[in-house]
Amino acid sequence: MPHCAVVIVGGGLAAGLVARQLARDGVETVVLERGADLGPGAESRLPTQRDELRWAVRGGLMQDAAVETCTHRRSRHELARPMRRLAAFLPGTGVGGAGNHWNGQCFRWTDYNLALRTRFTGRYGPQAIPPDMPIQDWGVSYDELEPYYDLFERLFGIAGQAGNLRGELRPGGNPFEAPRQHEFPQRPLEITEAGRIFAETVAREFGHRPFPSPAANSPDPYVNPDGMRLGSCQYCGHCDRFLCEANAKGSPELLLYPWLRRQKGFTLRPHAHVLGIEHDPTVGRARGVRYLDLTTGEECFQPADVVVLAAFTLTNTRLLLLAGLGRAYDPVSGEGVVGRNFCFQANSGVPLFFRDRWLNPFLAAGASTTVIDEFNDDNFDHTGLGFLGGGYIGVGMSSGRPITARRTPPGTPRWGTAWKRANADWYAHNCAIGAQGSCYPHRENYLELDPDYTDAYGQPLVRLNFDFRENERRVSAFLVEQSLRIARAMGATIIGAAAGRSGQFDTRAYQGSHITGGTIMGGDPATSVVSPRLQHWEAENLFVVGASVFAHNGGHNPTGPVGALALRLGDDLARYLAQPGRLA
Amino acid sequence: MNAATDSCASGLPGTGRRLFLRQAAGAAALWCAAGEVAGQVAQDLPTIYPSAPGPADTVYLSFGPEEADCVEAMVEHMCPRDELTPGGVDCGLAVFIDRELAGAYGHGDRLYLRGPFRPGLPEDGYQLSMTPAQYFKSGCRALDQNCQRRLGAVFARLDANAKESCLLEISTNRWDETGEFSLGAWFNELFYPLFTQACFSDPVYGGNRDKVFWRLLGYPGLPATYGRDMVTYRGRPHPAAHTPRSMQDFA
Ligand SMILES: Cc1cc2nc3c(=O)[nH]c(=O)nc-3n(C[C@H](O)[C@H](O)[C@H](O)COP(=O)(O)OP(=O)(O)OC[C@H]3O[C@@H](n4cnc5c(N)ncnc54)[C@H](O)[C@@H]3O)c2cc1C
Repeated sequence: MPHCAVVIVGGGLAAGLVARQLARDGVETVVLERGADLGPGAESRLPTQRDELRWAVRGGLMQDAAVETCTHRRSRHELARPMRRLAAFLPGTGVGGAGNHWNGQCFRWTDYNLALRTRFTGRYGPQAIPPDMPIQDWGVSYDELEPYYDLFERLFGIAGQAGNLRGELRPGGNPFEAPRQHEFPQRPLEITEAGRIFAETVAREFGHRPFPSPAANSPDPYVNPDGMRLGSCQYCGHCDRFLCEANAKGSPELLLYPWLRRQKGFTLRPHAHVLGIEHDPTVGRARGVRYLDLTTGEECFQPADVVVLAAFTLTNTRLLLLAGLGRAYDPVSGEGVVGRNFCFQANSGVPLFFRDRWLNPFLAAGASTTVIDEFNDDNFDHTGLGFLGGGYIGVGMSSGRPITARRTPPGTPRWGTAWKRANADWYAHNCAIGAQGSCYPHRENYLELDPDYTDAYGQPLVRLNFDFRENERRVSAFLVEQSLRIARAMGATIIGAAAGRSGQFDTRAYQGSHITGGTIMGGDPATSVVSPRLQHWEAENLFVVGASVFAHNGGHNPTGPVGALALRLGDDLARYLAQPGRLA
Repeated sequence: MNAATDSCASGLPGTGRRLFLRQAAGAAALWCAAGEVAGQVAQDLPTIYPSAPGPADTVYLSFGPEEADCVEAMVEHMCPRDELTPGGVDCGLAVFIDRELAGAYGHGDRLYLRGPFRPGLPEDGYQLSMTPAQYFKSGCRALDQNCQRRLGAVFARLDANAKESCLLEISTNRWDETGEFSLGAWFNELFYPLFTQACFSDPVYGGNRDKVFWRLLGYPGLPATYGRDMVTYRGRPHPAAHTPRSMQDFA
């Protein structure tokens, strides 16, 4: 393959944003994406787009586990088992990646998250963080990211209500938000009936300040700064795990790749499965990447001045481990970096049933969620609580899809006339309070290569060493307690059984797709894989982007910071190409 | 009603019985029921769901006759004909399961089937080397063998009470023995999800015939373009809730 300036591994959301910044300078960029280019096929057109069985239950747009999955064990003293069906989280594939079939909840993370160790030790003392919880600062500040958050919101047409505009608190927005320079580019989505009950209750009874989740579901037709268009959201309830039929979801396949394809110097190669990074350890440089052209079966080499890994948490980590770039993390000594600080999310929920309220769960957008941030991250005092972290709590109505989004009250039989009756009685009248909990790093939660299992190409799978530890169980119990308090005040006829993260990690249950860490960023090469500029500590022309660089997982969805970091990286790479060297 | 239908059916041979289940909701069921629980039927009859005209004779692509008997009996028991829906066979539930097993899903689509194979905890998810179709059939066989041994007849020949307690027991792992095929895992992780998918997926896959389960819920189906309804029907019943449309309505 002819040499190029920048090769990007993975053709998802982060890759598209990096490429977008580079394209403005006409930089020759090649994106290698293992999956197909999504076209105007069944996945995006009526009526087939609304097929719950095909897209949501069978996972028609997701990574094919028969080709590649990962393995998992709860402790390193166990044998690992492959996740034979991907269920707990759902990595995407195809041009646009999981950024196409996300729900669109698009938060900025609270500023102190980027310096969490400093925050906790400053607020609760030097002993606040337990020794087995390697929380660390990310090495970047919110002020540096703010313009990129802003750009990401304008590119994706994010809908929301500002809570903190240049330091001034705004009613109806998130009071815990870090100061934003501009309003959201679009008005918030319509609130759901359940959201209304939730918002009224928490404001009246507890003085909480509910706000609409920032959303990538476009409430109105929208034109972004690149002239790319979104239609208006149809509140159809087929968002997460689906492509948007109305072209109304901020997603790479609508907003980034069609624009990129028109730019000089940009090349997209779908069906290109990247196998490895070629590098020269003596000079500390990557030479390019090896990939399998799935359309010919041929193995190819793409040489480049700069290599960017933007292939999501599992692949980013795996490619570094395979190449031996950076020392693999060792949980016994606590040394080594690649694979460390792997985190998930400690989510919880409480189902509610209202006999006399029409909640119509099918009238919903992916992010038509009403939430509070009073119990998120470090927005509240943790003194004496015995844990660190928290989560947002809200009524997350995003679908009434009948196979998976049905709920019946406790005690309902699982079949027979009474089961049917309960479904009929409660379908239109239920909702759930959900909490998205933070997940902080634990010394024993990490990624490595599996010694026994391989993918369809013969390469080792990634092995997840992960379980919810005491801190996350307590976070979850705390969020359940708060949710139950709110549930009782909401006046539900029946409150269902609360589901928290109390038992061991269950690979069968979907818990959000927010897996983070493995190639984390930081100021110290002894405890991070990439610098605060996302530059690899050992190979100067190698960069990594995505949630794999998060040093911990906070109580918000990850894509806001992923977008901001990717856009900033694009600008940094333009600088690097002009003047190669270690970026300050 | 359900009990009567089932116990009558149990005397009939395989194909005859399936025919019975599909066509006989009217006369034969009445005749049967009259002899057994007449009082109850007389009360129930006027409100019972009108029997669907019944599909043309179904050809199963995956099930053999014994498997079909077993699955039909299960879906008939779990979805009895009542005032809410026709019986499970008439709802297309057995056809749905058969078609799924005969297709890509049944043959292991999106399932990682490389070794080594290690038994695991339930939380580790599926760990066997069989495809879903093979696993499903092993389960039908194990269920019938267990029913025969414990209750003296294969599942389809049990009376309604025995069927109910059998399903309650297998679904709570009470028939599971160490080292033996786990009927609990089979029922909870494979059969039951297929059963609910059969009920609630788009009728194009053969289940949820005539959108009967969508009407039951009040799920309006397609096209789901609710830009205006989101506001108009916030907090109010949706006018299309009981007249849903499915993919075929847009063909
Ligand atoms: C169902 C679902 C719902 C979600 N909802 C939300 C939400 O509401 N809010 C939120 O903030 N986030 C949400 N997310 C997460 C969000 O989608 C991700 O944060 C985002 O897509 C990450 O961008 P990325 O570029 O890092 O990864 P992706 O967008 O997934 O892109 C990675 C790409 O790399 C490719 N790739 C991987 N390995 C290779 C290889 N070896 N060779 C070549 N290519 C490779 C993949 O095919 C993929 O296209 C959701 C995710 C899912 C799955």
